[in-house]
Amino acid sequence: MNRLTGGLLLSSVLLAGCASHPNSDTALQQAGGDFQKVKEDSNVLRIAPKDVIRAGESLARADRLSSYWGSGGDVVHYAYLSQRYSAIAREHTELVLNEERAAKLELERQRLQLALREAKLLSVQQQGKWLEEQIASLTTTQTDRGLVMTLGDVLFDTGQAELKNSANRTVLKIVQFLQLNPKRVVRIEGYTDSTGGEQENLKLSRDRAQAVADVLVDLGIDEKRIQVEGYGDQYPVEVNASERGRAQNRRVEIVFSDDKGQLGAAR
Amino acid sequence: MTIRPLFAALAVVMLAGCAADPAPNEQMRLTQQALEQAAAVGAVADDVPELKLAEMKLAQAKADMADESYKDARMQAEQAELDARLAEARVLTQKSQEQLNVLNTRITRLRKQLGDAQ
Repeated sequence: MNRLTGGLLLSSVLLAGCASHPNSDTALQQAGGDFQKVKEDSNVLRIAPKDVIRAGESLARADRLSSYWGSGGDVVHYAYLSQRYSAIAREHTELVLNEERAAKLELERQRLQLALREAKLLSVQQQGKWLEEQIASLTTTQTDRGLVMTLGDVLFDTGQAELKNSANRTVLKIVQFLQLNPKRVVRIEGYTDSTGGEQENLKLSRDRAQAVADVLVDLGIDEKRIQVEGYGDQYPVEVNASERGRAQNRRVEIVFSDDKGQLGAAR
Repeated sequence: MTIRPLFAALAVVMLAGCAADPAPNEQMRLTQQALEQAAAVGAVADDVPELKLAEMKLAQAKADMADESYKDARMQAEQAELDARLAEARVLTQKSQEQLNVLNTRITRLRKQLGDAQ
């Protein structure tokens, strides 16, 4: 570089001597200055080495021409090209540096997005606890079978397996609860009273349990999370002697697993 | 004997004629291409002074070609090419800067939301 500066200086003197083109020495000096700056910038050298080389070549050409008589126009021309190459090198460098900065920021953005998502999930989980309390209040028995919710006889018409609309609110709560607790699974158990044949009762109890399961699946719960059992008139909760007792025995029970997906053994 | 230097002189004149700049067709094509590329990335002459320069110089180069002033045409076209390339680079850099600004805005927003959430 010192040699080039020396050359520039020398050519300036020569040019001053010939004065064929009044602007040529200024142009040469400016181009030399610009080239010096890009050449000393390690980022520019790393990112736009070709542009730097072209800037140097054009400058050398301008410098060489400046020692000839009557070539002031050419000197200005090549000095101009050299300056342009230096400027292009700087722009290319800035572009790549911006892209590198953007890549870093993008990582940072993703990290923050993840953190925010986790924070939101945490607040949803806290909401889930509230819902869990709600579900707990709906469940009538907290036995060794785990959390059990009983859907009463009123939710089905006599002898029918179709779930009535009055069950909607309860069903929606179960769906929401299962969505907020993705690891929990359920077993839906159907029961009947002792009227009617054993096989009929087994089928009806199973169909009713399946009807509840179908609604849950329709509302977006993965069917892999739902077991369905029909127990017919087994395991009555009341004696079948009275109408009231029979009504109590006609039921669907939903057994919830713990939050790790461990479900009590089936009966 | 005296005729020899005359031939030599003639030859030099002829050579000077031959050495005149050829038509810079390739350079004209390159320049045209550089201008098109700058336009393709969205450079507009009214917004990017380098592109305005490039357009003016290309027009001048075309006029010089028509006049068969090939050296002038070549110089104008060479400068126009680099003007256009610089215009293109400036536009791309500006776009990357805008992208950085968008990212920074998003990060600020995320940080704020995270602050609120905690």
